Amino acid sequence: MTVTLIEITLRGLLNRRRTLLLVLLGVLVVLVAGLYRLADQPQAEAAGFTGALLGNFGLGVLVPLVAVIVGTAALGSELEEGTIVYLLARPVPRWRIVLAKLSVSWLVVTVLVAVPILVAGIVAHPGDPGVALAYAGSSVVAALEYTAVFMALSLVTSRALIVGLAYVVIWEGVVASLFAGTRIFSIRQHALAVAEWLDGGAVTAELAPGVALVMAGIVTVGATLLAVHRLERVELRGETA
Amino acid sequence: MSRILLDRVSRWYGNVVAVNDVSFEVGPGITGLLGPNGAGKTTLLHLMAGFLVPSAGTVRLDETPTWRHPEIYGRIGFVPEREAVHGFLTGRRFVAAAARLHRLPDAAAAAERAIAMVDLRDAAGRAIGGYSKGMRQRIKVAAALVHDPPVLILDEPFNGMDPRQRLHMMNLLRRMAADGRTILFSSHILEEVERLSDRVLVVVAGRLAASGDFRRIRRLMTDRPHSFTVRSSDDRALGRELLAEPDVSSVELRDGVLTVRTGDYGALTRSIAPAAQRAGVSLLELRPADESLESVFSYLVRR
Repeated sequence: MTVTLIEITLRGLLNRRRTLLLVLLGVLVVLVAGLYRLADQPQAEAAGFTGALLGNFGLGVLVPLVAVIVGTAALGSELEEGTIVYLLARPVPRWRIVLAKLSVSWLVVTVLVAVPILVAGIVAHPGDPGVALAYAGSSVVAALEYTAVFMALSLVTSRALIVGLAYVVIWEGVVASLFAGTRIFSIRQHALAVAEWLDGGAVTAELAPGVALVMAGIVTVGATLLAVHRLERVELRGETA
Repeated sequence: MSRILLDRVSRWYGNVVAVNDVSFEVGPGITGLLGPNGAGKTTLLHLMAGFLVPSAGTVRLDETPTWRHPEIYGRIGFVPEREAVHGFLTGRRFVAAAARLHRLPDAAAAAERAIAMVDLRDAAGRAIGGYSKGMRQRIKVAAALVHDPPVLILDEPFNGMDPRQRLHMMNLLRRMAADGRTILFSSHILEEVERLSDRVLVVVAGRLAASGDFRRIRRLMTDRPHSFTVRSSDDRALGRELLAEPDVSSVELRDGVLTVRTGDYGALTRSIAPAAQRAGVSLLELRPADESLESVFSYLVRR
């Protein structure tokens, strides 16, 4: 049962051109790292550059962008197109559908973000692969948290992609950078704190790792429960209604 | 054997009432849900299949409310009207996926059996995305009956089918009904409902306008003045001959168009060809002048 849900979700995601375009975004991060190396910068600055590239571009742009597109599509596109009926018209507990979709989306996002972050980090700063590993590791955690939130969002509003992007740009990009008190509600800040925890030396985060991990856990579980709650009550209308 | 029971069910979207205080029971056999587009047929079927919550009243499958009880899908097969399917799957995988979601002991065998029932074995290895509309409709039916449910709900199942596929599907539904299943299908085409159903539910503007035996409803619908326009090689001679027919109430020839009025729809369609033959006239066209379903329904509702 779960295998079937996973197969349909995975093939559905990989068949979308949008998902494949996201590979290019990861390639871009690696390209920037490569260009930096080719420019023959002094080794002393490499650590700072790598941190900025992986923190700002990797965790700040790549992870949320990939997660918002994959996370809202996994259930949202099936709802929008109406194919969800072939999953709902079965005696399957709704939490199984949500968990299967969430796991697959998490896996896809992880592959699309953690790999380029790891490669870019090693290319930009081969002397200290620990930084690359720390950012790649935290991107795996962030991928889960983002994906869970955006999947729940796709069951709350039909404009989940727009709302999700607005959250990333306005809340995480502007509000959380201006007001330190709001950072506890920023997934990006959770990710930075985890990266710091994984590699204390190079990363400086605003939140304590313990707080960030607990918040990430609460948000992920809460969003997943919300998604199950919504899917149990989702209504299907005809095309004209 | 299973029954679907609706008790004083209403459903509204904001200010729009889609289904208005409808009560009926559907039992074994074939029941046709007939109504013009926008009458609320899909809303009713979705209420019955547990995809919509009633704003008032109760919808049950035997004793179980259909809303928020996914276990009912072990006993219901549902064929939606919307065409969207997982187009990247082959027909075989699509039906087998349904079988596995039902946890059938031998999903692959169940899928083959269902695919054979809808006569799609040859195309089962191809991706559904490349199917014609009629084939899509049939693979959806296969996915709905893969677990051999006692209740089958189909939303406009004949849409997009050619006459041969339509006939095949009708025979399939008849066979399933003969096994004691409860089959409910919607249609906006009178003729489909007439050929297939034992019982009919007529919905107009969200209300149940009539229900019961098809012959009774057919009489309600046909015992009313009908007019036809006729084109023939000699309209004047044909008109003269038709006037002698007992069922023809009037004949009018104006601006080169022959209009025939009758109180009995069926009798005229049977008698016009012999009449043309007697008059030595070739019949070119016979067209009902007011047979749009809407006019039939509005007549029913006014009664």
